[in-house]
Amino acid sequence: MTAAIVALGVVVGLLGVLVVGLLRSHADVLRALHDLGIGEDDLAAAGTAEGRRTAGRRTTRTTGEIRMVPGVAAPGASSSLGRLVDVSGVDPHGGAVHIGLEGSRGLTLLAFLSSGCGSCLDFWRAFATDEVEQVPGRDTRVVVVTRGPEEESPSEVAALASDRVTTVMSSAAWDDYDVPVSPYFLLVDGSRGVVGEGAGGSWAQVVDLLRKAAADAGLALDDDRPRFTRRDLLVGRDRELRADRELAAAGIEPGSPELYAPLHAAPGDGADGEDGAR
Amino acid sequence: MTDVSSYGITARLPRGWDARIAKRPDPAGDPAGPSTRAAPEEGISTRSAPAEGDPPGPLAGTEHPVAHLANFPLPPVRGDYGSGAVELMRADDIFVALVEFEPEAASTPLFSHRGIPRFGVNDFSPHTMQRTIAGMCGAQAFFNRNGRAFCLYVVLGSHALRAPLVAQVNALLAGLEIDPL
Repeated sequence: MTAAIVALGVVVGLLGVLVVGLLRSHADVLRALHDLGIGEDDLAAAGTAEGRRTAGRRTTRTTGEIRMVPGVAAPGASSSLGRLVDVSGVDPHGGAVHIGLEGSRGLTLLAFLSSGCGSCLDFWRAFATDEVEQVPGRDTRVVVVTRGPEEESPSEVAALASDRVTTVMSSAAWDDYDVPVSPYFLLVDGSRGVVGEGAGGSWAQVVDLLRKAAADAGLALDDDRPRFTRRDLLVGRDRELRADRELAAAGIEPGSPELYAPLHAAPGDGADGEDGAR
Repeated sequence: MTDVSSYGITARLPRGWDARIAKRPDPAGDPAGPSTRAAPEEGISTRSAPAEGDPPGPLAGTEHPVAHLANFPLPPVRGDYGSGAVELMRADDIFVALVEFEPEAASTPLFSHRGIPRFGVNDFSPHTMQRTIAGMCGAQAFFNRNGRAFCLYVVLGSHALRAPLVAQVNALLAGLEIDPL
């Protein structure tokens, strides 16, 4: 019995020594990898230009000592702040598109997206819904910029693009603004150029960042002002748009026969509306 | 100045102007087919030319190229004659629509004017609007160029202050080029 207990203690002791040795060896390996700049999530693998171009899929990248978590774009090598260049390109169907930014009124949000980028999907989706209206500022317009047809599939972009925002395919715009990765966003003021830039994991996050960027730039987003102008009041535009929306929701389109029906026709009274009114 | 060109139409744009040159969606529904972002109430429609003097209407659409030029941000959805965009215009805004019709129309009397026309201040009227908007005015002209037939439709944000805007329109038209088909 005593011999068995002694033997068991020896075995346990040997196993303990073995485990400690393995842990030390593992620590040495990790330290060596760390010294070589290789992380567990391959953070250092995407620093090349090609890596940037496909970073939407790869989602990791190293910039100097900064390590980005997956899904969030790293800052560009050179900031675009203050830059102001018009965007020229084509739409996904081949037509010409020119976005005049120099001297334009209001703010423009340039959303640099890609058709193959997984983290861009939330933005494509948001831009096809009412969520796009959350963009700060009454006059702020959203323009989606993909790379040109030589680098992106026009049919894929057409399938993702929404009529709620303008979509332009322009590799030149990516180069003009040194866009590092997709998704990436630039908030452009017509007189001051880029006043904010960056990326986020979701549209809601970007909207929040945009508000801060605009506030930091001293731009009044005038969201608290009435949603109509003096001219709107004079011409009744708001009322007209509301009426159009409600008619469309009721299935009454321009030219619908309901629009020409007598106003006071009683049910089952035939077409003679005047008689029905009496 | 920036040149924007597509479908044989080239516009030389002043600083800050927006431009789109596109076609209507393919009637067969091909998503990759030619397209312009047309207002939903303006379906693909007639190939026939409108009557002279008529204001542009919802049925005056064309599946041929349409160019929209404006000194304000163009919304993503517009009718051929600017519905959806002109409602957003301010007093110093200009909207120009160049709508092409079938080549056969170039030899008809309506399109008999040769070359890109110019406008005078008296050519603009508040009544030459697809939908009258207080304070604004429009002008319309038909012409042919290099065997192609076009309707040129211009909206100004202010009828009272139209003189300087007309000068800008004519400067823009001077830089417009239309190639043969």
